[in-house]
Parts: sequence; C-alpha cells; structure tokens
Amino acid sequence: MSTLSPLQEKRYHRNTQLPGVGDEGQLKLLQSSVLVVGAGGLGSPAAYYLAAAGIGRLGIADGDVVELSNLQRQILHFTADIGRPKVMSAADKLVALNPDCHVVTHHCAVTAENAADMVSQYDLVIDATDNFPSRFVLNKACLVTNKPFIHAAVLSMAGRVMTILPNQGPCLRCVFREPPAPSAKTTFELGVLGATPGLAACIQASEAIKYLLGLGDLLVNRLLIFDALAMSFEVVEVLRDTDCPDCGSGAQI
Amino acid sequence: MHIELRVYTGLEKYVGVRHGEMTTVAIDGTLTIADLLHRFDIPPAEVTSALVNGRHKELDYRLQDKDRVSLFPPVGGG
Ligand SMILES: [Zn+2]
Repeated sequence: MSTLSPLQEKRYHRNTQLPGVGDEGQLKLLQSSVLVVGAGGLGSPAAYYLAAAGIGRLGIADGDVVELSNLQRQILHFTADIGRPKVMSAADKLVALNPDCHVVTHHCAVTAENAADMVSQYDLVIDATDNFPSRFVLNKACLVTNKPFIHAAVLSMAGRVMTILPNQGPCLRCVFREPPAPSAKTTFELGVLGATPGLAACIQASEAIKYLLGLGDLLVNRLLIFDALAMSFEVVEVLRDTDCPDCGSGAQI
Repeated sequence: MHIELRVYTGLEKYVGVRHGEMTTVAIDGTLTIADLLHRFDIPPAEVTSALVNGRHKELDYRLQDKDRVSLFPPVGGG
C-alpha cells in the first residue's frame, strides 16, 4: 500500500491536513501497530481514537468480561455486551468504526510470562490497566523490548500521563518505585468520573500518534498531572534514576 | 534554609495550597522527607512517591537548601 485510496483520502482528510501529517503520515499510521492493555476506562477512549485515526493494527489485551458497573466510563461497551469478553466487545465497535483497523484480541491478563512476547508484536504500548502490578510488568517488558510505553492512571477526578521512551528518560519505576499500599483506596471506594480516564486517554492517544509520526514534544522527562475538580493541569519535571530497579545501572535487563 | 514544596491530588488539604501550587517551607537544622510529612500531618500511606528536583527519593532523604519537593498520593485506577 503506497497511496491512499479515494475513500481513505476522504476518511482521513482532517488527519492529512494537519501540519507534518499529509498522505505520507497517514500511510505511516496505517502501517503502524499499537497495543492497548486494558479495555476499560482508559482503554476505551484510547482505542477509539487510535482506531478512528487509522492505526493499521490495534491489539487489545484484557482478561475481563463487561459488567454493568463498567458502563458509566468504559465507552466501548454497550448494555447488551454485559457478560461478553471486553476484547470481543471492543473489537466489534472498533472494526465497525474503521474497517481499515485490524483489531487483534488478547483475551488474557498481562503477566511477567506473556508480557514481553505480546509487547514485542507492536510498535508502541498504551498503559490502560487499572493496577500497579500489571503496570510494572509492562514497564519492564517495554524496557526489555525497547518499546515506547505511554502510562496513565486515574482516580476520582484526577489523573496523570507520562510517556516512557526506554533509555531516553525515566521509566515508570524511576518515578513510582513501589505499588500503592494495599490500604490505598481505589476507584471502587472513591469513584471515578467517566470523563476523567477519558481526559487521560485522549492525551495518551495524542502522544501515541505524535510518537508514530515523529511530531512535537512528548511527555518524556515530564509528568502531566491533572485535577479536573480544580481543573488544573500541571507538568512536573521527572528524571531518570540511576538507582531504578528496572532501568538503573543495577537493573537486570 | 528553605525548600519548595508542591503537592497533588488530595494532599492539598494538609498543606493548605491548591493543586500543584508552590509553597516555601523554612527549615532549621536537618529535616527528612518523613519529617516534612509529619510537619504537615500528612499520613505516610498517602504519599506513594516523593520527588526531589525531579528524582525519586526515599522518606529518609535529608532535604537540602532550595530542594524542589513534589509529593504524589496513590493513583492507580484505569
Ligand atoms: Zn527507571
């Protein structure tokens, strides 16, 4: 595929008009692959925008099924999907949205055993998980396979995003060394406004497309942290730590 | 000596500042990050990461003049 078809010219017109994109950039997106780990509050909008933008191959990894309590924020899933695997529900919507997007489903949790193999099949990885053990596994797998890893986490009406390029800036564990204490409250106790992961995921999707097209400035060495209640967005400088257990001088990679 | 402190995502109420707003803290003698949390009555369990000048530090780190300290509570949902 070396040129856009007439239908693609039309579908992606507002992409190709963007500075630095053009037909060439769109073709690059159509030849790119992204793995979205988690098909929930972050994964739904992130995958929606990536599929709509014309990412050619989109992997969705999630071991869960759709539950009623997911639907106030996990916008890929509909009421009729309750009980279905999230990856199947997600694939239906994404392919219906854009037939150019080949969706690959991974109906499983990400583990230390399968992460590196899964991650290695894609150009870039989106952290749309809801727990730190999974994030740490992905962080390590992305360091080992040298894949960009776009982290986000949310709670209540707050969230943060950070882009990790192996060896070019801090990794997740440079900044967040240990998982939160087991007593730390979660979205189950504190709630989460559906639009909050939406905000974070839209930033993740923007970062992914910028990386794939080599555009702009990424959230590398910078942590974007926001509070939608105060409607305050702050950028915090974050630096690589030579003592980091995952990417520091003593790390086992 | 003094340090710059910024807190996020629910820690504001302990320090009496807005999200990410910088406040200057005067220090006499030595003060660790753990002492700093104690001074503002911030429960250590509510701080999952402390950065000093952009780098991760443990709670026993002794603060230096003009250090820029950022404190983050646990946020792990998705
Ligand atoms: Zn690291």
